[in-house]
Amino acid sequence: MKKKKPVKKKAAVPKKKTFFPPMSLSFEGTLASKTGTWRYLTPTYVNKLAPCNESCPAGEDVEAAMALAGEENYFGAWEKITAENPLPRVCGRVCFHPCEGACNRKDFDQATSINALERFLGDYAFQSGKRFAPPKEKKKEKVAIIGSGPAGLSCAYHLASLGYRVTLWEAQPELGGVLRYGIPSYRLPKDVLDQEIDNILSLGVEVKTSARVGTQVKWAELKNFAAIFIAAGAWKSLPLKIPGEQAEGVMSGLQFLQKVNTGQRVNLGQRVAVIGGGNTAMDAARSALRLGAKPLIIYRRTKEEMPAWEEEVAETAEENIEMIFLSSPVKILTQDGKVQGIECLKNLLGPPGKDGRREPHPIEGSNFTLAVDAVISAIGEVPDLSFLPEELPKSDGSLLVDETGATSLKGVFAGGDIIDQPRTVSYAIGSGKKAALAIDATLQGKNVVEALRSARWGEKGSLSLVRYQKGGVDGVAQEVVKFSELNPAYFKPEARKPREKLSGPQRTAGFPEVNPGLSPASALFEAKRCFNCGVCNLCHNCFFFCPDLAVAARPDNLGYEINYDYCKGCCICVEECPRGAISVEVKK
Amino acid sequence: MKKLLTGNSAVSYGAMLSRVEVISAYPITPQTTIVEELSELCAEGKLKARFIRVESEHSAMACVAAACATGARVFTATSSHGLAYMHEMLHWTSGTRLPVVMVNANRAIGAPWSIWCEQGDSLSQRDTGWLQLYCQSAQEALDTVIQAYRIAEEILLPVMVLVDGFFLSHTSEPVEIPDQELVDQFLPPYQARYKLTPEDPHTFNIMADPSIFISFKHAAQKSMEQGKKVVARVDREFKAHFGRGYGVVEQFRCADAEVALLAVGTVASTAREVIDQYRKQGKKVGLCRLRMFRPFPAEELIKLLAGIKKVAVIDRDNSLGAGGIVAQELKAALFGAPRKPKVFEFIAGLGGKDITPETIQGVMEYTINNPKPNGAPIWIGVEE
Repeated sequence: MKKKKPVKKKAAVPKKKTFFPPMSLSFEGTLASKTGTWRYLTPTYVNKLAPCNESCPAGEDVEAAMALAGEENYFGAWEKITAENPLPRVCGRVCFHPCEGACNRKDFDQATSINALERFLGDYAFQSGKRFAPPKEKKKEKVAIIGSGPAGLSCAYHLASLGYRVTLWEAQPELGGVLRYGIPSYRLPKDVLDQEIDNILSLGVEVKTSARVGTQVKWAELKNFAAIFIAAGAWKSLPLKIPGEQAEGVMSGLQFLQKVNTGQRVNLGQRVAVIGGGNTAMDAARSALRLGAKPLIIYRRTKEEMPAWEEEVAETAEENIEMIFLSSPVKILTQDGKVQGIECLKNLLGPPGKDGRREPHPIEGSNFTLAVDAVISAIGEVPDLSFLPEELPKSDGSLLVDETGATSLKGVFAGGDIIDQPRTVSYAIGSGKKAALAIDATLQGKNVVEALRSARWGEKGSLSLVRYQKGGVDGVAQEVVKFSELNPAYFKPEARKPREKLSGPQRTAGFPEVNPGLSPASALFEAKRCFNCGVCNLCHNCFFFCPDLAVAARPDNLGYEINYDYCKGCCICVEECPRGAISVEVKK
Repeated sequence: MKKLLTGNSAVSYGAMLSRVEVISAYPITPQTTIVEELSELCAEGKLKARFIRVESEHSAMACVAAACATGARVFTATSSHGLAYMHEMLHWTSGTRLPVVMVNANRAIGAPWSIWCEQGDSLSQRDTGWLQLYCQSAQEALDTVIQAYRIAEEILLPVMVLVDGFFLSHTSEPVEIPDQELVDQFLPPYQARYKLTPEDPHTFNIMADPSIFISFKHAAQKSMEQGKKVVARVDREFKAHFGRGYGVVEQFRCADAEVALLAVGTVASTAREVIDQYRKQGKKVGLCRLRMFRPFPAEELIKLLAGIKKVAVIDRDNSLGAGGIVAQELKAALFGAPRKPKVFEFIAGLGGKDITPETIQGVMEYTINNPKPNGAPIWIGVEE
């Protein structure tokens, strides 16, 4: 039985009429209806990995840099890049940009011009006077780095930033390795390289040049260092192994480029045969052209199988450099010890070999000769391992390292072209960083394998220093966003800004930079073309579309959160998120 | 500050001075220049309002209604076909008791195709629950927009402000633009009593079952009735504040008149000249300008016309099969009155045809010379 409420006496006050609103209005607030109980699909915000980040061998946070650049925060974008890679002006010029190959936008219209934007950011920051911040702390441990190419510079930068005392040992009189002695200045101007190196050295890196470890400097001299990173590169050219190779006028591609890049005179004569289809061959042929010679590239397979990057092959063709395909030299013709010509055999392509490329097979009796004054052989380079201590294990012409970049000797790490990895500047930079992280983890007594695992961007081996420092806890999942997870309805097709280039005659008159880079307007346009895959950029779509008002801004305003009392799991937010930053789970 | 403004431009100033927060509209002649000017003011940052572009008038009204439901002061403008297209949303807006203010530039509805002035577009929306205030000058248009927000926000019903297409919308005249500070004193920011808010979410326009639906309509009717007083009071307060007032029914030389003309909108300013001429001849004639059509000021008209023998109504509209809408409303209002004039009905100026002093003279001559109306409205200027 219900108890009767005692009747209250309210004498003078007239009885109030029931509340009647002017329009029909739910009596109770709709908050009373907790629609979350209907849910069996649960959307959650998960910032995921953009494919560009995963595929950057140098481990740059490309997506974050693009987002900041899109807001015209160029310094912020530069800081994002240089936290991972100290050489944006180098990479912005010479990287083969696997990021663009992975870019989801290529499935929509054309990939975002990440590489050109990286260069813009590097140049912009340098011209605005931005330099690296000095290390926050100083550590007492000393680290020796052998080789000052991209791997050595990257390792030196990261270790110096972490406060270590770094000494760079360089066999050549100047720093830079392949960046200085291999890559011609029409692709990477020497003053840009000098400025990039100076910036790294300003962190307090000690430099020993003309100091070849193993010969001029004994290994024993390095015993005071807590760790050693070996990044001496791959400087031994493979021989052609044909008669006449010792004649005057025959040289290796690297020898030739080294001379050109140090301003030495090279007497090539008129006609120069360049043997090979890789980047060294392209660089050698294009440099020869700029010296006034008439280069002729001889390659044993066809254009499709050329290992040189597409862009380099295209630029070589634009400069009207002649190429002969399906031809292999068999003899260098000489007179009085000097090159007179070259004899070749025609090839047919057979079935694919171990590397998937079709193997050339010589056609008997197809010999033909060409009159040439010089021969540049650029059929590949291997590391010179003769300077290494004997106890270091080698394999297949490379120095053997484990997954952390460590050799079998305690505290000795290796990276760059001396180990078995793709021979590119960005891979070298990445391996330099890996060594820096492994050295830091070792010296700080961490579990090196675990520490490196926490620094991963996805599954392709890219490592992030920022992730390393956060122990991998940065709110970004390892899941890489696919194009199918984006909502392309929110993006409008926009053609990529073409890279402007000097015309053929302008280029070949000397060694001016072929590619002048993006204008500020084009750079901003490209940054804004970025889809920002997988990362919430506060576009508010989820908020606008949520029929239950269950989506609300987070208190820090850096994202949104879902009130699961009212989320009934319709997942419209997931569908409407342009960039795949919301995931669905089948759970209450 | 005095400026030479078209009626449409004066309306834009009125909206800007009222500090509207959300504007949504779709262009249609002769209204377009109102929102064109407002969109520029928004783009230039002179007016801190969100301008929402839409694909139709139906959506424009839905947008401003929704924005208004969140507590924003909103504005829209349309004309003719656009107003007809909004018809459904007009009901929803008044039914939700949203103080939306809209300006409609009166224009004939096709067919045949016409862009010129006629008041049938708005008069035919008389049953949608909107107040209707008809203006005669650009100054009045500016002032009425400001007044309209005070009225709407007090009684929670939307207000339609009417300007005659081209005659008023596109004609320039000197207009006094009041200081923002003065307007702010007269029109404080809108404080919604009921609003959609995530803090305390409620369902608006929840289904009302048959037991209760009628109560909402009755509440709205009471607010409309209250509106008669509120419109008059706001106008008086406006006059005290700015020195300009218009009344609910404006009368001109009616005190001792035996014959009166009842007109709506810009026709009244032409009629004033004609009345003056008759007065010079010693004829006892006067003019009533109906400024408020909804709510219909029946009591006021009964009082005003009590001593008058004949009243001539010029309708710039026609309800096919019934006659002029203003005349019908007037006759219905006078039906039970103890003393009432004979009502002479005229249909004139449809589709923008000029109503000249001669037209009005003809109307007056007919009314003065005939003892009683012949039972059917007289159409002026018809080619047969």
